[in-house]
Amino acid sequence: MLRYLLIRGLYLIVTFWVIVTLVFFLLRLAPGGPFDGERRLPAEVEQNLLAAYDLDKPLPQQYLNYLQMLVQGDLGPSFKQKDFTVAELVSAGLPVSLGIGGAALILAVVAGIGLGTAAGLRSGSVTDLLVMGTTNLGLAVPAIVLAPLLALIFAVWLDLLPTGGIGSPAHYLLPAIALSLPFVAAIARLTRGSVAEVMTQPHVTTARAKGLPDARIIRRHILPIALLPVLSFLGPAAAALLTGSVVVEQVFELPGIGRYFVQAALNRDYTLVMGVAVVYAAFILGFNLLVDLCYARLDPRIRLFGNSPGL
Amino acid sequence: MVALAAVVLPASGHCAAAAVLRLGNPGEPQTLDPQRYNLRLEETILNDLFVGLTTFDAEGDLTPGVATSWQTSEDGLRWTFRLGDSRWSDGTPVSADDFVFAYRRLLDPATAASLAYFMYPLKNATAVNTGKMPLTALGVSAPDPKTLILELEQPYPHLLERLLYPTAYPLPKHIVERLGSDWVKPQNWVSNGAYVLKEWRPQAYVALQANAYYLPAPAIAEVVYYPLASEQAAYNRFRAGEIDAINSFPAGELDNARDNMTAALRTSAQLSIIYLVFNTRVPPFNDIRVREALALAVDQEIITDKVQKSGNLASESFVPTLVSNYESVPPPYYSLTTAERLERARMLLAEAGYSSANPLQITLRYISGAEAKRTALAIAAFWKPLGVDVRLHHAELKVHFADLRQGDFEVAQAGWVGENNAEHYLSLLISDTGEVNYGGFSDAEFDELMAAAQAEADVEARNRLLRAAEARASTLYPVIPLYSIGIRRLVNPALEGWHENLRDIHPARYLSFGP
Repeated sequence: MLRYLLIRGLYLIVTFWVIVTLVFFLLRLAPGGPFDGERRLPAEVEQNLLAAYDLDKPLPQQYLNYLQMLVQGDLGPSFKQKDFTVAELVSAGLPVSLGIGGAALILAVVAGIGLGTAAGLRSGSVTDLLVMGTTNLGLAVPAIVLAPLLALIFAVWLDLLPTGGIGSPAHYLLPAIALSLPFVAAIARLTRGSVAEVMTQPHVTTARAKGLPDARIIRRHILPIALLPVLSFLGPAAAALLTGSVVVEQVFELPGIGRYFVQAALNRDYTLVMGVAVVYAAFILGFNLLVDLCYARLDPRIRLFGNSPGL
Repeated sequence: MVALAAVVLPASGHCAAAAVLRLGNPGEPQTLDPQRYNLRLEETILNDLFVGLTTFDAEGDLTPGVATSWQTSEDGLRWTFRLGDSRWSDGTPVSADDFVFAYRRLLDPATAASLAYFMYPLKNATAVNTGKMPLTALGVSAPDPKTLILELEQPYPHLLERLLYPTAYPLPKHIVERLGSDWVKPQNWVSNGAYVLKEWRPQAYVALQANAYYLPAPAIAEVVYYPLASEQAAYNRFRAGEIDAINSFPAGELDNARDNMTAALRTSAQLSIIYLVFNTRVPPFNDIRVREALALAVDQEIITDKVQKSGNLASESFVPTLVSNYESVPPPYYSLTTAERLERARMLLAEAGYSSANPLQITLRYISGAEAKRTALAIAAFWKPLGVDVRLHHAELKVHFADLRQGDFEVAQAGWVGENNAEHYLSLLISDTGEVNYGGFSDAEFDELMAAAQAEADVEARNRLLRAAEARASTLYPVIPLYSIGIRRLVNPALEGWHENLRDIHPARYLSFGP
C-alpha cells in the first residue's frame, strides 16, 4: 500500500510538472502580451512595465524563475490585478467555486443515483422511460443555454431568486442547479445501465433465491458493484464541479476561479492563469488518486498489490 | 426567448429609498492606485475616491477641485495653483506636497505606470520617466503647502482637462511612504474624495463609504460597484431591481427599453471615434485613389441606423462632431450623392488598375463580437458593387491590437476614446506617433500643421491650425471614420442628479434617492 502510494505520488509530481510547463509555454505562444491594449504606450513606458514584471528576460529564464517561485509555494503577483497577489485572488475565488461545486456535487450524486437506480430496477417501465427521456435532455442542453434560462425563469419572471452575484445562500441555488443538471443526467444513466446489468448476474439471482428482502439485495448486492462505473466518473466530475464552471460563473456573475481563468487568459495575465491552472491540476490529480483508492475498497476484485490499477 | 420575455414583463420596481447606491461597472478594476490605473472603469471608481486639482461638477463639466484658483504665465509654460482647505480621510490636511509626491511617483520608472505619458506635458517628464533625469528634475514644485507650480515642456492649453484624470490625483504621502504598495488595501486606505474604499471582493464588488472629512457630505452613504462584464447579466440584474444603474445592455433590447422602460432609459453619445484604418505602408493601400474609392463607398448612417441599431452616432469626420468648441472637417466628397460617390469610386479604382478581370482583394480585420461582425459584413457589402473581394478576419481584442501595432494588416477596425479636444484624435495620424498610428500614415504637411498647433498657447488659434490639419488629412484618406459610440444605459428612475454628459461622468457625490 505504502509503495503504491509512493509510486502514485511520483507520477503525480511528474504529471503536475508537465502540466505547469505546458501551460507556461502555451500561454506565451498566444499573440499579444499583458500590456498590449488600445491605448498608446510610449516605448519607454512599455520598457518600464516589462522590467517591473521580469518580462524583459529571456523566456527560459522566466520559466526557471517561475518554477523556483512555485516550489517555494509562491504563485507570484498578478500582472493585471495589481492590488492583489495570485494567492490572494485564488483564496478569494476558491471558496465560492467550492461552495457551488460542492452543492452541485451532492445534488448530482443524490439525484443521479436515486433516479438511475429507480430506472434500472424496472428497466422498460414508464419510470425508466421518463428518467431516460429527461436525462437525455439534461445531457443535451449545455449550461450556456440552461443557466440563462434558469435565471430568466426564476429570477426575472418569477422574481424568486437573485439573478447573480453573491451574498445569501439563495445566490448559490440557481448556479448549483445549472451546474449539476448535466452531471445528474450522466450519473443517472450510468447508474441505470449498470444496475440493470448487475441485476442479471448470478450472485443477485442467488441472493433472491435465498429469499433476501429487496432492500437488502439492492443495498448489499447490487449497488456496491453497480456504482463502480459511477465512482470512476465521480473523480473527474468532482474535480470539474469543485473547481468551478467557467460558463455558470460567467452567467451568474459569480466571483469564482473559473471566471478568473477566462478573464486572465483574455488579459494575458500570465501569473494568474498559471495560478488557476496549478489549482485545477492539483484538484484533478488529487481526485483521481482518491477515486482509485476508493475503487480498491469497493471492488473486491481490485487489489492494490500485484494488480496494477493503472493510471 | 429573452426578447419575448422583455415584451411581456415590464421592469420590476426598485426600492425607492436606499442608503446604498448599487452601480454596474463594465468589468473588474485592475487596481485602484491612481498612478497605476489603466482602464476607464477604474476612472469611474477613482472619481468617487479622489479629487484632483480640477474636478467634475454634477453635469460632468470641469470645475475647481482641490485647487480653488490658478494663473498661467504669459508664455503658457508655468501654471500656479492655489490650493483650498481640504483633508484626507484620516484628517490630515491635503498639501501641495502630496501632489508633488504623486506626480514624481507617476513618472518614476520604478512605478511602471502605463499612463505615465498622460503627464508628459510636464517639463522633463519624458526624461524622468526613462530614467535619464532624477525625479527632482520634474516640472512640479510646492513653494508652500498651499501653492503648487507646474512647469510645462511646451504650451498645453488643455492642461486643466488633463488634470481631471486619476494620473493627476494627489496621494496621501504620509501613508504611502510608510506602507509602500500596501497602501491600497482597504484597511490602509486613505483618500481625499467624497468616498473611501471600504471593501474589495475580487470579481464580486468594490464597496465605498462616505469620507467623514469630505465637504459637503454626500447624500448617499455607501456606493457599491459590481463588475458586470456581460450585458445580458447586467440587464437581468437591473430588471430584477438588484442594481440602480447599468452602463450597457444588449443592443437587441433597445427597442423594448424605448417602449417599456422609458423612465429608466438614458441614451447619449460618448466622445470617441470608431474607424477603419488603412495600412498605408503596403500596396495597394499606399495608393490614395484606392483609399478614396473605398471611403466613398461607405455609408456611415446605414451602418449605425440600419445595421447596428444600437444607438451609435455616425461620423464622417475623424474628430468626433461631439468635441466642444471645434467644427470637425468632413471629407471633400461630403456634398456628393450616393450615386455620384459610387461613380467616382469606380473611376478611381479603374485608374488604379482594378477591374472585374483584376478585382481588388482585401482582408478586413475586426474585433470578435456580434456587432463588429455585422458592421464588417456591411462594409464588405458596400465594397462589393465596386468589384472588391473582401475576406473577413476577426480576432479577440488583444490579438487584434497586437497585429495592428505591428502593422500586420491591410484594413482594420480601430477606435479611440478620448478627451474633449481635436488634438487628442488628430495626433494619432502624426508620422512619429508610433505604434498607434497603426497605418503608418505619414504626411509632411499634416505633421507641420500639427507641430504648429501644439506650439500655440491660444486655444482658438490652435483650433484653427488643427482644422487645417484635419482638412489636409481628410484629402489623403488614411482612415475611414465610422461612428462615435452610443451609450445606452438604464438608471433607476428614483435616482436624482444623474445627468448624461459628453465625458460620461456621474460622480456619486451628486446623486441622491428622491424622497
